[in-house]
Amino acid sequence: MKPMSAAILPSEPPPAAWRQQVHGFADIRFARRGAATGLVHLAHHEPLRVLFSQPAANDSAQATLVNMSGGLIAGDRLDIDFSVGEDAAAICVASAAEKVCRSDGGECHIMTNIRAGENAWAEWLPQETIFFNGARLRRTTCLHLARGARILAGEFLVLGRIASGETVSSGYLRDVWRVHQDGRLMWVDALRMDGNFLALGAARAGLDGARAVATLVFAGRDVAGSLEPARGLQQAFGGGVLASASCVNGVLVMRWLAVEPQALRAALGNFWAAFRHHAAGLPAVLPRIWHV
Amino acid sequence: MTRRMRMIIPTGMIMTTNSSLYRLLAWLSPSFPVGAFSYSHGLEYAVEAGLVTCRDDLVRWISTLLHYGSGLNDAMLFVAAWRAMAARDKAALGEIIELSAAMRPTSEMALETQAQGAAFARAIRGAWPHSDIDGMLPPGAALSYPVIVAICAAAHGIGLRDALEAYLHAFAANLISAGVRLIPLGQTGGQNALRLLETDVTATADMAENLPLSEIGGATLMLDYCSAQHETQYTRLFRS
Repeated sequence: MKPMSAAILPSEPPPAAWRQQVHGFADIRFARRGAATGLVHLAHHEPLRVLFSQPAANDSAQATLVNMSGGLIAGDRLDIDFSVGEDAAAICVASAAEKVCRSDGGECHIMTNIRAGENAWAEWLPQETIFFNGARLRRTTCLHLARGARILAGEFLVLGRIASGETVSSGYLRDVWRVHQDGRLMWVDALRMDGNFLALGAARAGLDGARAVATLVFAGRDVAGSLEPARGLQQAFGGGVLASASCVNGVLVMRWLAVEPQALRAALGNFWAAFRHHAAGLPAVLPRIWHV
Repeated sequence: MTRRMRMIIPTGMIMTTNSSLYRLLAWLSPSFPVGAFSYSHGLEYAVEAGLVTCRDDLVRWISTLLHYGSGLNDAMLFVAAWRAMAARDKAALGEIIELSAAMRPTSEMALETQAQGAAFARAIRGAWPHSDIDGMLPPGAALSYPVIVAICAAAHGIGLRDALEAYLHAFAANLISAGVRLIPLGQTGGQNALRLLETDVTATADMAENLPLSEIGGATLMLDYCSAQHETQYTRLFRS
């Protein structure tokens, strides 16, 4: 048994027995209305909330996803649906880092579906997912693209509370991407670590010491032409991180690995801002909440 | 331990016969015309970047792939495809073929498996045809290498465990052959690497037979990085 005092340190979540398991959901749907994109449907359940802010004049519509719970514990479940209708353009940004706490055996589940209608533009911009030692998480991010649509979506994982010296040595993580275009399965990726964090963290073909990894997927119409520009932008914003890009099965996949999460965060944020401008002509800035 | 486990795990209903061994040796030999020698699976960049500099590095690199990466993933797809083909379950096989084609981290790893898969299917059609194979394949589907080898093995009545170990042996041996040329290593060094990886191949086959396909996945992120970087590597001997 852990001493009680350990459970009330500020960064430590309450033990599972103190809190009910949650099943949060958010269903956010944008559609084109006249010249602009507007919200047409919103449903959410605690601990998820959705906030909206007025975008800059030439920027896309914006939703901010907030998790009020302060962290996921074993048995928690989040279902997120973000849809952007035909000819519309919107970004959904996470308000803060997602913490996945040490598990007593149960798993957390996060299921995210991002849908873009014909010729739509959708961006899914998360903040760090901080995976505590001993956490258990299954996460699936599915992209669904209609003809002519484009989706730019990311995930950013940090292994352990690095500032407090935590190393992840046990736990379970399965983080899956699935990209469907016109109903066809184009690309699948599954990051899976089952108790072998130390071996994989040290292995040269594994993480080779990296503690932060990010994946950015750009799928849909004419993404292959963005491979070279993406490589150029990765190099331009690459201090202290390893970055790579490949266009596989018609999906542009960009990856970053770093020892220091802050270096990765800077590289990813700067890249993202520049890349959305390159790919969609949107302002080369991220929603203000990303920088908070 | 793994040896003991292996003995109590059912390996499928089909016993390996002498003709099965003969076919496996033929199909997974380096002279079978799939062009295996032209793929390094990202190793060419790993050597260039100094991540793999000697025999022991090479053994560790391949061992990581076998336990936690493309080796285990392909072995799990192999097992699923063999079982679906043995049951003549066309719907299940179609899903496995689609998943295996989609589950490639980089364009060169997709090329590597699809080009070898297509070449393997052509060679089997030309020299070792079996009437059950073509009818089970979705028309025009991209065939990844582990999946088509598994389908052909099951069609020809070759036992799962033998076919799987032969496939994994070929995977390790081909990477060692690339390593021998790239690092470079002597031929004896290469054979020692192959000997050292024997237990890893067995362990990976055990895992692949026991994990459900819903658990597929790995964490060889530096392999993916090296493969992507290989696309822009200045001097290249290999296509991947």
